Amino acid sequence: MTKAINLTLKVWRQKGPEDKGRLETYDAKDISTNMSFLEMLDVINEQLTLAGKEPIAFDHDCREGICGMCGAVVNGRPHGPEKGTTLCQLHMRHFSDRDTIFIEPWRSRAFKIIKDLVVDRGALDRLIQAGGYISANTGGAPDANAIPVPQASAELAFDAAACIGCGACVAACPNASAMLFVGAKVSHLVLLPQGEPEAAQRATAMVREMDSLGFGNCSNERECEAECPKEISITNIARLNREYFKSRFFSNVK
Amino acid sequence: MNWFIHTIGSSIGKKLLMAITGLGFCGFLAVHLAGNLTIYGGKASFNSYSEHLHALEPLVTIAEWGLLTFAVVHVLTGAVLFYQNLKARPVRYSVNKSAGGRSLGSRTMPYTGILLLAFVIFHLINFHFADRTVTTIYAIVSGAFKHPAYVVVYIIAVAIAAVHVSHGFWSAFQTIGANHPKYMPLVRTIGTVFSLMVGIGFGAIPVYLFIFV
Amino acid sequence: MPLDAKIPIGPLAEKWDRHRFELKLVNPANKRKFEIIVVGTGLAGGSASASLAELGYSVKTFCIQDSPRRAHSIAAQGGINAAKNYTNEGDSIWRLFYDTVKGGDFRAREANVYRLAQISNNIIDQCVAQGVPFARDYGGLLANRSFGGAQVARTFYARGQTGQQLLLGAYSAMMRQVATGRVTMYPRREMLELVVINGQARGIVVRNLITGAIESHAADAVVLCTGGYSNVYFLSTNAMASNVSATYRAYQKGAYFANPCFTQIHPTCIPVHGANQSKLTLMSESLRNDGRVWVPKNAAEKRPAHQIPESERDYYLERKYPSFGNLAPRDVASRSAKEQCDSGRGVGETGLAVYLDFADAIKRDGRAVFEQKYSNLFQMYEKITGEDPYETPMMIYPAVHYTMGGLWVDYNLMSTIDGLFVLGEANFSDHGANRLGASALMQGLADGYFIVPYTIGGYLAGTTLPNVSIDHPAFKDYSAEAKNRVRKLLSIQGKRTVDDFHKQLGLVMWDYCGMARNNDGLKKAKEMIQELRDEFWQNVLVPGSENDFNQSLERVGRVADFLDFAELMVIDALDRQESCGGHFNEAYQTEDSEAKRDDENFCHASAWEFAGEGKTPILHKEPLVFENVELTQRSYK
Repeated sequence: MTKAINLTLKVWRQKGPEDKGRLETYDAKDISTNMSFLEMLDVINEQLTLAGKEPIAFDHDCREGICGMCGAVVNGRPHGPEKGTTLCQLHMRHFSDRDTIFIEPWRSRAFKIIKDLVVDRGALDRLIQAGGYISANTGGAPDANAIPVPQASAELAFDAAACIGCGACVAACPNASAMLFVGAKVSHLVLLPQGEPEAAQRATAMVREMDSLGFGNCSNERECEAECPKEISITNIARLNREYFKSRFFSNVK
Repeated sequence: MNWFIHTIGSSIGKKLLMAITGLGFCGFLAVHLAGNLTIYGGKASFNSYSEHLHALEPLVTIAEWGLLTFAVVHVLTGAVLFYQNLKARPVRYSVNKSAGGRSLGSRTMPYTGILLLAFVIFHLINFHFADRTVTTIYAIVSGAFKHPAYVVVYIIAVAIAAVHVSHGFWSAFQTIGANHPKYMPLVRTIGTVFSLMVGIGFGAIPVYLFIFV
Repeated sequence: MPLDAKIPIGPLAEKWDRHRFELKLVNPANKRKFEIIVVGTGLAGGSASASLAELGYSVKTFCIQDSPRRAHSIAAQGGINAAKNYTNEGDSIWRLFYDTVKGGDFRAREANVYRLAQISNNIIDQCVAQGVPFARDYGGLLANRSFGGAQVARTFYARGQTGQQLLLGAYSAMMRQVATGRVTMYPRREMLELVVINGQARGIVVRNLITGAIESHAADAVVLCTGGYSNVYFLSTNAMASNVSATYRAYQKGAYFANPCFTQIHPTCIPVHGANQSKLTLMSESLRNDGRVWVPKNAAEKRPAHQIPESERDYYLERKYPSFGNLAPRDVASRSAKEQCDSGRGVGETGLAVYLDFADAIKRDGRAVFEQKYSNLFQMYEKITGEDPYETPMMIYPAVHYTMGGLWVDYNLMSTIDGLFVLGEANFSDHGANRLGASALMQGLADGYFIVPYTIGGYLAGTTLPNVSIDHPAFKDYSAEAKNRVRKLLSIQGKRTVDDFHKQLGLVMWDYCGMARNNDGLKKAKEMIQELRDEFWQNVLVPGSENDFNQSLERVGRVADFLDFAELMVIDALDRQESCGGHFNEAYQTEDSEAKRDDENFCHASAWEFAGEGKTPILHKEPLVFENVELTQRSYK
């Protein structure tokens, strides 16, 4: 049933990349528990706007948990306290009256803050550029059923391909590492026969790019897996490690 | 060999170094513990173990240099990783909360590591580099553990080692890529059992010596 | 100017082959000298960028999100059709073509639809080669499922996330070209102006959404892949940033806008929870296979669903459509739900919902079977509503989720402005008055991978293109225009927020130009839109500054265009005095409340030409000639 709750928000406000930024406090009154977290922010923003203040900048788009655009660290948890849930799918019924909620942006050297809760995740695009693809020009593909793919491989590949590129893994990792993101992409492609030919090249190129972008190193803390809204497993990181060693020690890739 | 330097210098390469050296230490701990158990057989049994071990020269010296190399690699790489990981998040969160992935072991790896390093040096000075020309290793060990302070220090140290191993063991498998849904639960169980063995096995010796000898 | 769709002559099945042969080719060595701008990175934009770059063109690609991987194609759930006939049920290109034309209620162009069906097979091949993890059978071959409007299983799918996987395929192909330098990617840019010089589209003016800088980009051709305009209703299943601005700006610059009143309403969405709802979420239509739709017979009913006895429930779809029952087509099911709620019998806190009850099916099949089929949907529902559909019936309500109308394009996908190509949902070409499930993904990728790469070559090879750089005075003028508009919107400093206006516009459109329309309502809506627009330009409040990351400023520009565009939709709806597909005028219906077409007078695409600010747009008709299919009445009895 709908309830209305009152909350205290501590929101990270930062004018731009060079600004130092600070937590500011807002009262969120009469918040319907049926609202999503982002709708709650919408309400605050409407109030701020009418009060002549600047609304809180936050990224969002599809609001159905698939585009990967939204995300903030809520009380220390990327995308908030619910498992397997993006911020846009988090609903206010999971909070109680008079809660204090800390809302902070993804924090990583690789993700520069643009404004308030908005960060630049271009590093994830650069990782895909480095090798997160299969080189198949349009037009040259054989019939789709020419190469059978074992159902189990297709399913495993899908589990990894479900990544929405939100960056929560980086935000959650105590070391701000991007291994789950890279592991998911390398796994998705290497599990399919179509991705095999470039496997060695891809593993080296993506790891090299990852190391150059300022992410931390994986220390198997498993926070990424626990926070991933698509619940992508760290077995994909182990697979990335294998693929990387294969590429480095047993292939011709320099 | 340029490619090799690049490989071990990469983030995954450094982790590989940690995993291999770490697993090496796990092996060493197992052997060390097995040897130490002879202390329950009494003075003669323990001294005989020590003599037999040193009769294996030059293998022991080789092993010692090997362990020293492993230690240098493990400590230096660990330090580099710690520093890099710290730098990867220049502004920290005001609220930190785990989603349940981290464990006591994983959370404290760098710190338990530093404490272990200090302990190992202490331990080596006490027992390894002790002058054994006029006395036996049994006398040195049993003598040391007559002091309650030594007992306490050792118990704390092996507890720290156990915590370090509780994450290190399975983590090494994950890093070398050996994570399979069928076998990982077993690896994790072995890791837990092994860390308990390290803690209880090594920890019981000072207590035994303090109380019964 | 009469509309020339440039449909190739000859038998339907040979048109595309013949046309590709007749299109002039660009010398491979010259391709990199041609610059092409692609706006939008959904299935159409992503696939077009990748394919054009693979051919050697220099491509500049723009998107409003922070990454090209986020376009709203990503949210498509169901699947993608192709005429592979892997299931041996007798499917063929012809059957897919026929189903699509019929599903579109005979308001689409035959030649385009046939080409779409032809290309459908290549799309699947291409996507598999890119690593799209489609569902497979135990033997490792591709699996198919059936979908609305077809009697064969021809839909390829990747769990409930087909759109995501296809988009990531196109995105990765494009990122590969970014790495080669043939595609330059400009994220967080919003197109504010289309630059037309000597009647040719030669560039765009964009706003850098991070810095607020107005930037000019010149090119030899512009490809718009900017999606649909469902957000004119404020509440829709579209992403928050989906907007009409790019296509509307092109319309203002001379591209005709076709059939803007053709919108599609999806019957099974999660209902609105209150005034602060920001968007709607779709529940797959497959749920209607096992659910029974009902409302209480008594409007004053206050008891929870499980306490209402069978005798006091009205299973209205089963009652009204005995043979199709709960599986009545989308538009019929949607209108019936609205009818029930309008009569006061809607359920839930807002009264704007009907029950979709699975109790009988769960009893029949057992919970285990049910979980296997629907667990992900049920979880999603529970996440959003906090209610467990195994225990209480689901509540659903219709919502806008796709727009068939769009910029008018010829067979080459070129608009009435030379060099302006329009792909995917942004154009009007393939779905007529109603789109069948699993066809949107097919069209976006067909346009991007397999049509525009050839037709754009034909244009470039056959056109004289004088040298144009961003120093051309036109770019200065358009930039100044864009800047002025931004400043004007900021300077109003009124008392109502952007969303406030948007919500009000949405309500007007939903009430009067939604799933059922009538002439009086449409006329009223037109006045209301005009009044709202006047107030908007005097009373909108936009905080912040122009040279900054300013999301309110982004939204206000989009809402300003929606306010203009809404009127065009209403004008089109008023002009089309028939019912067809998604356009249902209450005055034109059969006895069974089906849409009643008027093929005599309205068998055409209505293409509207911008006549100037405040002037009535000029209607051009493209007659739709059906040489290969017979026009029939849709019936679901």
